[in-house]
Amino acid sequence: MANFYKSLNQTNDIVNTRTLLHEAIPLTGTIVSGTYGVENIKNYSHGMFQSVYDYPYLSSSANHVFDITVGYANNSALSASTNAQNSKKLNIYNQMAQVLMGYDQTGSILQFDEDGDLLAGGTKLRENVFLNFSRLLVKDEIKKGSFELELGVTPVYSQDGNTVFGDRLKLTDASGSSGYLVNSPVGEYGILYATQSAGTNVLAINQSYPVGLLFYQAGVAVLSGSMFLDVSDGGILNNAHFSVSMSGPTTTAETINAVLTGSQITGAADNIRTRMYNLQFNNTVELNSTVYFCRVNHNEFNYSSNPTYLSGSKIRVKTKTTDLPVSYITTVGLYSDNNELMAVSKLSEPLKKTPDNEFTIRVRLDY
Amino acid sequence: MAFLDNSGDIILDAVLTDHGRKVLSKGDGSFRITKFALGDEEINYTNYNPNQTSGSAYYDLEILQTPILESFTNNGSSMKTKLVTIANTNLLYLPILKLNENLTNTKRHTDGAYMIAVDRSTEGTDAAGTTSAVGYIGSDQVQGILFGESFEDSNYIRIDQGLDTTEISPKQRSSISDMIESSYIIQIDNRMGYIVDRNGNRVAADYIDDDNIAFYTVDSSDNVVSDNSDDSNSTTQTIAGPRGTKLEFKIGASLDLNTSTYLFTQLGGTTTMTNKASGTSTVNFIDTMVRATGMTTGYTIDLPVRFIKAVIS
Repeated sequence: MANFYKSLNQTNDIVNTRTLLHEAIPLTGTIVSGTYGVENIKNYSHGMFQSVYDYPYLSSSANHVFDITVGYANNSALSASTNAQNSKKLNIYNQMAQVLMGYDQTGSILQFDEDGDLLAGGTKLRENVFLNFSRLLVKDEIKKGSFELELGVTPVYSQDGNTVFGDRLKLTDASGSSGYLVNSPVGEYGILYATQSAGTNVLAINQSYPVGLLFYQAGVAVLSGSMFLDVSDGGILNNAHFSVSMSGPTTTAETINAVLTGSQITGAADNIRTRMYNLQFNNTVELNSTVYFCRVNHNEFNYSSNPTYLSGSKIRVKTKTTDLPVSYITTVGLYSDNNELMAVSKLSEPLKKTPDNEFTIRVRLDY
Repeated sequence: MAFLDNSGDIILDAVLTDHGRKVLSKGDGSFRITKFALGDEEINYTNYNPNQTSGSAYYDLEILQTPILESFTNNGSSMKTKLVTIANTNLLYLPILKLNENLTNTKRHTDGAYMIAVDRSTEGTDAAGTTSAVGYIGSDQVQGILFGESFEDSNYIRIDQGLDTTEISPKQRSSISDMIESSYIIQIDNRMGYIVDRNGNRVAADYIDDDNIAFYTVDSSDNVVSDNSDDSNSTTQTIAGPRGTKLEFKIGASLDLNTSTYLFTQLGGTTTMTNKASGTSTVNFIDTMVRATGMTTGYTIDLPVRFIKAVIS
């Protein structure tokens, strides 16, 4: 009996697989702070955060890259009702903390912990910069151990990158690939460590300092303001190096603490953004695939219902009955029981099929 | 759709069809792939040249160089022609589907399509006896106009299957015994119409896809497929050699076309036709296509169909 469908053996011909794909996401600091001026920086009337695009955001070609915002905790030394946008900065901190760190047994919001050891207490990150990466870049998650953020920490304030990028810190989640934490309600996170990557006497030699947290699935980096402060101001920079000067509410020689208290959130975001030298990470896409092994035996699919296959009713590719029939495969159609065409797969070139040959065509559908 | 890069290894470009995505989105487990078919719609077998003097390796050189298009996601646009499994490799002829217009009642309209009158006023069967109707000229039913509301006409569509060659006698039906179509799939735009048997009994559709194409699998139980037992050289036959089955059906007009001119305005146009009073009537029309595919050999035939609605003056 002639037929043109072949059943797939549900056990032997269909296989489900899971693959993790990674893409490198390099973001040079110039995109963030210079190439397009501020045309790729979007501020909002509510002033709660600032969005960075990879192209002037009014263009339809622009892609959202990440958001920057800042906040501090209720019990931070910086919190004061006289601060600019004080309630909004508190709200930002609490919002991020309740989403990323969750609540304790009393229902109180847990604060960001420097080493992630919540039971032991320890140092809390109470004054933070938040980098919320777009899902377009993060996809399913940031690949652990791949995150690098380089920040210019030259003390003097300047909008000239060559000046502020002389001394740099590199923040990495170096521990992420082997040691990460799982006590967050939004999945896994790692600790960001700062090391000196350029300049001299920026940090103690061969020392790394915990300066933030990186939430892999959420795609959020929580950075401590301490990386812009020297030790005497409560930060990690050598006292001899001095705290980083930023453009604050009154002068361009103010510390990040003054910016966090006196400037609007967008002003603080501008200061952080223009200090970004380089940012890169690999993302991860979890690809669930079903592979259909379409087995074409020697005695199958040797004729065609293509109208050009026949002249009248005579087969064009044969001149006498003993000639072998020939057909050419260009397409594989996957069907339901009800003959509904669910998926189509095209070969890049015709595949000659005769009774002399057999094929197994492997069709993969990704979800 | 662009062509696929064919400069290196053979690659596969696989996509879910729009209908597949629709079924998948239901989330009820109905997305289940159980079988596959192979297609060759880009191949033009007339490029196969067995007279090539350079040798048999060159017979299909042009075919093997055919560039292949990327996958279409529209389920109706792919797999139009399929490869067929037939155990016998010594066949020189394959059965085809062919429109039989050798009977008075199965001819197309002189305009070249089967006309479906969508309401009684167009058919000429309304109680008012409007003279704008185009289904009759005087008291004679017009060739190729099928009555899509009342079905009170004798016209229908007939497709015959078999070997269309004079080299094999029609009496040698056994030569196609394993290639006789016992069921067919008929596709029609569900916004326009539906399939009925010759008596006007509606056939149930299998499913309607996201593009409003209804799929009907029909067989003898639907009274639209029957054996063609005539093995004579009768002039009423269109298949010259051994015959398999015949597919006979009519098309009913959808309620939308029956009661409104909206779709005619959106998708069609107007023309004039000779009316019942031998004058001229303005007629709204939509041209579409009905596709029939044999479930055994996969052979497909497309029929031109025009839905018409007379403008009652």
